[in-house]
Amino acid sequence: MKIHLKTALDYIKRSPFQALAALFVLTLTFFVGTILAVLVYSSANLLNYFETRPQIITFLKDEITPENVSALQNKLSADVRVKDVRYVSKEEALEIYKQATSDNPLLSELVSPTIFPASLEFSVTDLSFAQEVINEIKEEGIVDSVGFTASLGGEKTLEDVVGRLRTLTLYLRIGGGVFVGVLAGTSLLVILVITGMRITTRRGEIEILNLIGATPAFIRSPIILEALIYSSVGAFVGWLLAFLIWLYATPALIGYFGDIPILPKGTLNLFGLFAIILVGELIIGLGLALSGSYLAVSRARRNR
Amino acid sequence: MVKLTHVSKSFGEIKALVDVSFEIKKGEFVFITGPSGAGKTTILKLILREILPTSGQVVFDGEDIVNLPQEKVPYLRQKIGVVFQDYKVLPERTVRENVEVPLAVTGVNPDEWAARVNQVLKLVGLDKRSELFPAQLSGGEIQRVSLARALVVNPKLVMADEPTGNLDWETGDAIMELFEKINKEGKTVIMATHNKHVVERLKKRVIELKDGKMVGQTRVKSEGEEKVEEKKEEEPRQEEKSQEKPKMKVKVEEV
Repeated sequence: MKIHLKTALDYIKRSPFQALAALFVLTLTFFVGTILAVLVYSSANLLNYFETRPQIITFLKDEITPENVSALQNKLSADVRVKDVRYVSKEEALEIYKQATSDNPLLSELVSPTIFPASLEFSVTDLSFAQEVINEIKEEGIVDSVGFTASLGGEKTLEDVVGRLRTLTLYLRIGGGVFVGVLAGTSLLVILVITGMRITTRRGEIEILNLIGATPAFIRSPIILEALIYSSVGAFVGWLLAFLIWLYATPALIGYFGDIPILPKGTLNLFGLFAIILVGELIIGLGLALSGSYLAVSRARRNR
Repeated sequence: MVKLTHVSKSFGEIKALVDVSFEIKKGEFVFITGPSGAGKTTILKLILREILPTSGQVVFDGEDIVNLPQEKVPYLRQKIGVVFQDYKVLPERTVRENVEVPLAVTGVNPDEWAARVNQVLKLVGLDKRSELFPAQLSGGEIQRVSLARALVVNPKLVMADEPTGNLDWETGDAIMELFEKINKEGKTVIMATHNKHVVERLKKRVIELKDGKMVGQTRVKSEGEEKVEEKKEEEPRQEEKSQEKPKMKVKVEEV
């Protein structure tokens, strides 16, 4: 192994520009790959956040009794289309209002709990159930009115927001996947070309090794090892650059998105996410290096 | 150790070897001689399974190497140390690294490398040049590197193709002394050469080729110049018979 590693490092030292070309392409691939992986993670979290927000608020009539509320709450909780049912009393509603208007205390001083209706807030497991659940709950005698949560970004309903996010996430996944695929294909070609050039320039050495009884695996080893060095270094450097950029941007992102957990909460969890991405990229790099170099070696054998 | 039976080899129209048969026993030192194009190198290549014969059988160490599966060829070659006329050393590796390569190829434990390499470099007189690159060595020294590389794995057979072809007389003699020493230690040696001086000085068995045909062989028992066998494999053409003495007879007389 030591002799193969030395040979592979010698190959790299003797052709520094080929090595740099390979490293740049692989670094770029894995840099974009890391950025995209985190974007996909964040967009999925963003989507999940909005999908799991209390989407339907059922405002209850003033004359309700606790038994009535409890009965409706139990009924909703037993419905498989409904999740996260929560009762908000008049007092709690006032607290929410006070928090929402905390920048203007005068507004909260002018109101009392009596003007806020109690409500039952819940989400649906799938937004397609929303309309039929709303229609059913409107039939309940204690229900005054039903509505979606407040509009966001000018959208009329949360469904529109979620729909938009879904489309955005889908485009991000498809577009990003295609882009990374193209970059990965380019990396594969670069490894293939460099390995092919290496075999051509080392033909004399390969012939000598053949004559002294080296097995094909022995001859291939430094060539494949060289490709592995390119891919692993490229994966690590690309990942590291993206990691540093994310770290730099994290405070601003958290400040902008507030409670929306677009990145894992806690430093350890964030590092964990990046560690998983690194392991994944190293495995992909291994696959790229092995397939590229094997393709080049088998092509060289066919042409011999 | 090595047995060729009715071996012929053609390269298109060219007949490189025609019905060649001989056997080399373990511990023998055999010269394969003849002018350029006689088929000397072809025989070495056949034994190394670099090429396959058009017909006939080649046996090495009891194994029919003509029908040897391709994946077993490297293991056959690991049993044979080869010294090439053009050295075939790795130019970007030091003397030590060149000699280490066969050890890596044969999977020898790296802990043993230093001792084995030092021993063989001492044998060929390159122990003080082990960290130099081939470009920093003379032709004779590079040939010694090639020899050291051939010997380091303790092969069953050492083959040399014109090992003195690119060397001056003095260096060539030194290299030949090394081969003789190796043979005395029990190694089987096959050497292809057209250098009559070398053949005559060592007085070993000679297989002589001409135009791909075996025209004779002599076997010398010892340096006492005792003729053991004389064989004339090829009858001269009728019109040459009267003018040409059988070559081997001349050789034996010289011996």
